[in-house]
Amino acid sequence: MNPAHSYLNHLTRRQFFAGAGLALGGVALNLLAPRLRAAGSQVGPVAPVYPPLPGFPNFAPKAKRIIYLHMNGGPSQLDTFDYKPALQAQFNQDLPSSVRQGQRITTMTSGQARFPVAPSLFKFAQHGKAGTWVSELLPWTAKLVDDITVVRTVHTNAINHDPACTFLMTGSEIPGKASLGSWISYGLGSESNDLPSFVVLTPKWSGKAPAQALFTRMWSCGFLPGRHSGVALRSQGDPVLFLENPAGVDRGMRRAMLDSLGEFNQLAFERYNDPETLTRIAQYEMAFRMQTSVPDLTDFAAESRATLDLYGPEVTQPGTFAASCLLARRLAERNVRCVQILHRGWDQHSNLPSDHRLQCQDVDHACYGLVTDLKQRGLLDDTLVVWAGEFGRTVYSQGTLTQVNYGRDHHPRCFSVWLAGGGVKRGIVYGETDDFSYNVVRDPVSLYDLNATLLHCLGIDHAKFTFKSQGLDQRLTGVEPARVVSEILA
Amino acid sequence: MNVRALRWLPSLTLILQAAFSAEGTVSFNEQIRPILSDNCFSCHGTDATHRKKRRLDTPEGAYAARNEIRAIVPGDPDDSDLWLRITSTDEDEMMPPKDSNKPPLTKAQRDLIKRWIEEGAVYQKHWAFEPIARPANPPPPATATRGAGPETIDAFVLAKLAPRQLALSPEAPREILFRRLTLDLTGLPPTPAELDAFLADTAPDAYEKAVDRLLASPRYGEHFARYWLDAVRYADTHGLHFDNIRSIWPYRDWVVAAFNRNLPFNQFTIEQLAGDLLPNPTESQLIATGYLRSNLTTHEGGSITEELIARNTADRVNTTAAAWLGLTASCASCHDHKFDPLTQKEYYQLGAFFRGLEDRGWDGNVALPGPRILLGSPAQLAQLDRVAAELAAREEALADLTTKAAARVPMPKSSEPAMYEVVWADDGDAPTPEDFQTSPLERGWREGEAVPLVSGHRALRIEGPIQRDVFFGSGDVALKMHQALRAFVHVHLDPAKRPKALSIEFLLTERWSPRRTVTKKSRRLVWGDAAAVGPAGDDTVAVGSLPLAGNYFRLEADGALAGLKLDDAYTGIRISLSDGAAWCDNIGTVVESVAEKDPLLSQVAWRTSVRQDSGFDHVALPLEILDLLQAEKSTLSPAEQKRIQSWYRNYVFGPLRGALENKLHAARALIAEQVWIEKQLAGSLVARERAQPRESHVLLRGQYDQLGEPVQPDTPAFLPPLQRSASRATRLDLARWLVSAENPLVPRVVVNRFWQQLFGAGIVRTPEDFGTQGEPPGHRELLDWLARDFMDQGWNVKRLVRLLVTSRAYCQDSRCSPMLYEIDPANRLLGRASRFRLDAEIIRDQALVFGGLLVEQIGGAPVKPYQPDNVWEPVAFTGSNTRHYQRDTGAALYRRSLYTLWKRTAPPASLATFDAPSREAFCVVRQRSNTPLQALALMNDVQQFEAARTFAASVLARNEPEPARLAFAFRCVTARVPSPRERTLLADALNTQRARLAAHPAAAEKVLTNGDSPPPPHLPPGELAAWTLLVTLLFNLDEAINRN
Repeated sequence: MNPAHSYLNHLTRRQFFAGAGLALGGVALNLLAPRLRAAGSQVGPVAPVYPPLPGFPNFAPKAKRIIYLHMNGGPSQLDTFDYKPALQAQFNQDLPSSVRQGQRITTMTSGQARFPVAPSLFKFAQHGKAGTWVSELLPWTAKLVDDITVVRTVHTNAINHDPACTFLMTGSEIPGKASLGSWISYGLGSESNDLPSFVVLTPKWSGKAPAQALFTRMWSCGFLPGRHSGVALRSQGDPVLFLENPAGVDRGMRRAMLDSLGEFNQLAFERYNDPETLTRIAQYEMAFRMQTSVPDLTDFAAESRATLDLYGPEVTQPGTFAASCLLARRLAERNVRCVQILHRGWDQHSNLPSDHRLQCQDVDHACYGLVTDLKQRGLLDDTLVVWAGEFGRTVYSQGTLTQVNYGRDHHPRCFSVWLAGGGVKRGIVYGETDDFSYNVVRDPVSLYDLNATLLHCLGIDHAKFTFKSQGLDQRLTGVEPARVVSEILA
Repeated sequence: MNVRALRWLPSLTLILQAAFSAEGTVSFNEQIRPILSDNCFSCHGTDATHRKKRRLDTPEGAYAARNEIRAIVPGDPDDSDLWLRITSTDEDEMMPPKDSNKPPLTKAQRDLIKRWIEEGAVYQKHWAFEPIARPANPPPPATATRGAGPETIDAFVLAKLAPRQLALSPEAPREILFRRLTLDLTGLPPTPAELDAFLADTAPDAYEKAVDRLLASPRYGEHFARYWLDAVRYADTHGLHFDNIRSIWPYRDWVVAAFNRNLPFNQFTIEQLAGDLLPNPTESQLIATGYLRSNLTTHEGGSITEELIARNTADRVNTTAAAWLGLTASCASCHDHKFDPLTQKEYYQLGAFFRGLEDRGWDGNVALPGPRILLGSPAQLAQLDRVAAELAAREEALADLTTKAAARVPMPKSSEPAMYEVVWADDGDAPTPEDFQTSPLERGWREGEAVPLVSGHRALRIEGPIQRDVFFGSGDVALKMHQALRAFVHVHLDPAKRPKALSIEFLLTERWSPRRTVTKKSRRLVWGDAAAVGPAGDDTVAVGSLPLAGNYFRLEADGALAGLKLDDAYTGIRISLSDGAAWCDNIGTVVESVAEKDPLLSQVAWRTSVRQDSGFDHVALPLEILDLLQAEKSTLSPAEQKRIQSWYRNYVFGPLRGALENKLHAARALIAEQVWIEKQLAGSLVARERAQPRESHVLLRGQYDQLGEPVQPDTPAFLPPLQRSASRATRLDLARWLVSAENPLVPRVVVNRFWQQLFGAGIVRTPEDFGTQGEPPGHRELLDWLARDFMDQGWNVKRLVRLLVTSRAYCQDSRCSPMLYEIDPANRLLGRASRFRLDAEIIRDQALVFGGLLVEQIGGAPVKPYQPDNVWEPVAFTGSNTRHYQRDTGAALYRRSLYTLWKRTAPPASLATFDAPSREAFCVVRQRSNTPLQALALMNDVQQFEAARTFAASVLARNEPEPARLAFAFRCVTARVPSPRERTLLADALNTQRARLAAHPAAAEKVLTNGDSPPPPHLPPGELAAWTLLVTLLFNLDEAINRN
């Protein structure tokens, strides 16, 4: 690397004062002192600690932030959005081998003697001006159809949860890459000095089947600088790890300690001229602000009855998906760049009708509440909302098929995803699958394409968005060409 | 200072040019290759020929005429197509082309290329693939001296500094240097006594003596091991899906011991990659092969075995390539490496070395998926051998009997209803690992002429009032209510002591595990006077009168009548006697089921039930049988399949249990004993070679099921040839090749990482990539000299470390002027010591040291120290045995962080906050982030705060005035004496907290409650609390968490 370039890059990474350009140590210190005093009294705007990368966004963004609702385990497209009425006549008939075409299937069903077609038990109806088909499992989401784009032809490479989730969130099945939220935080920086730029929520779920695991790698920064890792907001204990002062330590004691610490660290800076020391001083102040901003964030007392009602009755129970959605809106209001809600429990290899009903009840009303609330507040225009599992489910039943019960195995070849808000069309359905919702017939969207499209909405050219690691220009959207799905863009 | 800094700004570029472009001619390796590699080689690199494109990575390719056009004409840029292309603005001509998404070259880059072509366009081979000179290149003449040896390092460093009019910084203050050295060599801070002793030692070799003392400390091995464990992604869970506990910590301890006993690095390499292939390998050498088992594994249902094997193999290749070769091999898993001369075929040839490994891909969600080594005393291991031999002998003796018996039992068709009888207890309770040592006689079984019998030679004597539990099976199979179920007991009431009533209940459980997790009982079925066995109620059902005394009668307890529902799991029955006495014999169940779903009737169903249960820890199956059940059937050899079949027939198959139970009792006791011993012993995953290695192929586009040409184990052609010990090269050959004297990469890569560890950044700053895309070394001759010396001195790690830390370059002050910082912000010229934040483990461990809490015990099973509540639950699989974090108490809270249990999908929170890796993938260099979450952790983590409190108590116990106490505490943490200004700040800080706490006495009491260790009773709470807050301040100092 060119040394001069490297040096500039070095400065950029540590750049501290958005307006000061090449501010150097001594100058920085001078600027810092009044800010330290200001921080103590909690007044005055604070310049962004983490500006975007130079040149970012690459073009005018439609969305400034993203809320990603991940349905972990793999919701069944056949029982939610991908309506296949003709299947009713094929109950318990074998899936034609011409459809499967010898595609690999998991070893959970590869030993099955038959692949009997299991039509959805649920009634579908058309909704909204768009006339979008939605199953009775999602009555509230059905009210949203004129605000969202349903994509029925997303497909993935992975067929089991662990690699599929890793792929969905990091663009690679192999652990170690950076997650979507980390990429966004890295590129676009943070507009909040009181909260992390990437927040993750892991609500409870209701399905009875054992839930798949989540992995911190789904929100970790991989090779990107560490501060871009998602911060998991917890519903039990401290919302942010180590947020609360130890027992007996009050805010005044903490403030006094931080005042002393600031003075000591200034002396350390004078001694060593290490810019990291300045960053550290600022991070302690941000930590102190988080000690109030996070409890303020999670306190719903100021929310009106009408707002709470939008999200359904569970919104006041901490740790529910509904409460997480309201938190997501509050995070969006506070300009947090990326919020990810990972709702587990969608892996119905058996008892799908009863468990999917429970899972849908968890999320349906709350999704409606989130989109509607954002819309009412004018936030939907620049907030992108995504609803997606890591794959879909098979048309054939896993295990015993009866008139009232069935299970479905993992299906990577097509599944349904919806998007709403900043940058995407409202009230359309994109893509078409075959009569068995097995293969894509028209307008396939790979996960690379999907991620490229999300980045596009955020004003980022995915192809140019790279980070050099392990000798490669790493990219969220992989090495093969990925396509921005312009047809769904507003 | 500020004014000066500003004045420097305009001339910054000039300084940089002066600093970095001093040399005359353009260097291909240092200046041109990085540009071409970044911008051109992805199309015009090693695999360009496949794409029918020109190669620019070789002079032949670049100079050759294609269609009469030459990319480069040495000496003549204007005739060089390359020059025209990179300066063109025509979209059809310009390079890099528009669709590459790469920006045009900068003017500086273009100028360099122009100069290079003008100077003759001389190519150099990539430096790292060139042999390391022997003897080493002579060092430049030294201008600094310090003893013999390390001055050579300084000479190389000075040779780079001098042309820039720079010199080494002065030596760091002695106390700062000593803290740095102690932290770097042991991962722990010096104690005040050690510091005093060092400062008092005025001998010229005081520093060298300190180095030797620290190198001899067992803490050294613990500290150095941790970097290696990052590289080989050691962890205590499997990493994927369930992410259950894995037992491989003996390997971690082996690494610690290897550093402590200074195992030469070449031997260190060989034992890890091929310890099992050494002649008569020792236990230690087998444990070392844990390296080959420290990859991520899964047991996710639905996984495809070949895919798992392919992934595991790729993981091993990628990690080995990164840790030893500094190559980004994974690029070549789908196609030839675009930048380095590693072909896709060679990637799979490397993989072929690992395709002979015996592990089967699936981890079974168990702690010790085979192959494994069990570690115990010689007596324990001998006992295990004896039991296995006895069991084998018994099985052999029984083989004829069981085979014949099995042949007589008609096998029901898989989907048809079946009814059969199982006898669970005849001459004794079914032996389990928990209680096999209790003899049947101790458990009330009697033998002899006076004992009335139904079968066998013993019967169970019970005398009321009593409740007697009889458990079924021995943990080898889950028992469920399938269609219908009746428990039977043959009862012989004592005529002399005839009871009033007898009842039978079923013992139900949510998890099947004998004797442990009985969670509820069924309704009670009563014979005789129901009131005599307890109050009547919904849970009691009268079924009839008692039978006559003096003879055996068969009582049957119907499961449905007792309230069992379909799929309820049961573990046994409870027999209650109101009073009197009775004999019981031949106890069992009549089962109605469908064969295909009943493990007692179907071997397939048995296998499925074992595989799907995540609670294998509780299952009473020997490890060997568990392994075979976890493996994909297609991977079992005929002998292994037969083993499973005969095991099933002998010990599981229900109908046979009725007929042979009394003859199998002794064998079952042996099995239980075997399982019991296995559970007592520690174990570790090891490598073992299969009799027949798996076939290896190129995997097209890296897809496990897209087989290309077959390949044999071999090493890449651009590196020295492999010496084979057999026609098929072995892992041992690979290991010896890595550390052969000719290998140009391994010594450079290894030395670079030790340098990185001690100097904060490597001589090559991309330690994972020594290929053409990596950063060129800042001091290539120095790196080569060190690598050569390392090999010549027998790969002696401690010697290398001693050499590095005794150099003047290491001992420099890290303080630097703004000017030097501007010239060289990243310290590439090494004109000062680097200053960097301490690693996560050191930050936690030093707090334990300051607090006097550290428990200095080396090795052992991982521990679970403090973590915030609810750190595993939000992510863990519901059936995982790492779902709930239950922290330890006592000494386990205060062990070094090296011993903290590492769950890959949720690594220890306080360590992860400070950039500890997840250990999911190799990590040869950690990030050093600087976040608000770190501030919160340091201020509020109970581990830190408790240590602050205990440290505060020890300072308060010092019999000296307050200023002295403050100075002492400050010095403990920073190693230096506070300045007058700092003394004032300390006193102010303490008084502020003191005043605040005086106003809030209740708060002071609360402050002392943080952490498990009790505060000393005699100290006033307000005072101790104020001091605790002061120490927290010290723990959070920038200086405290940096290596200065």
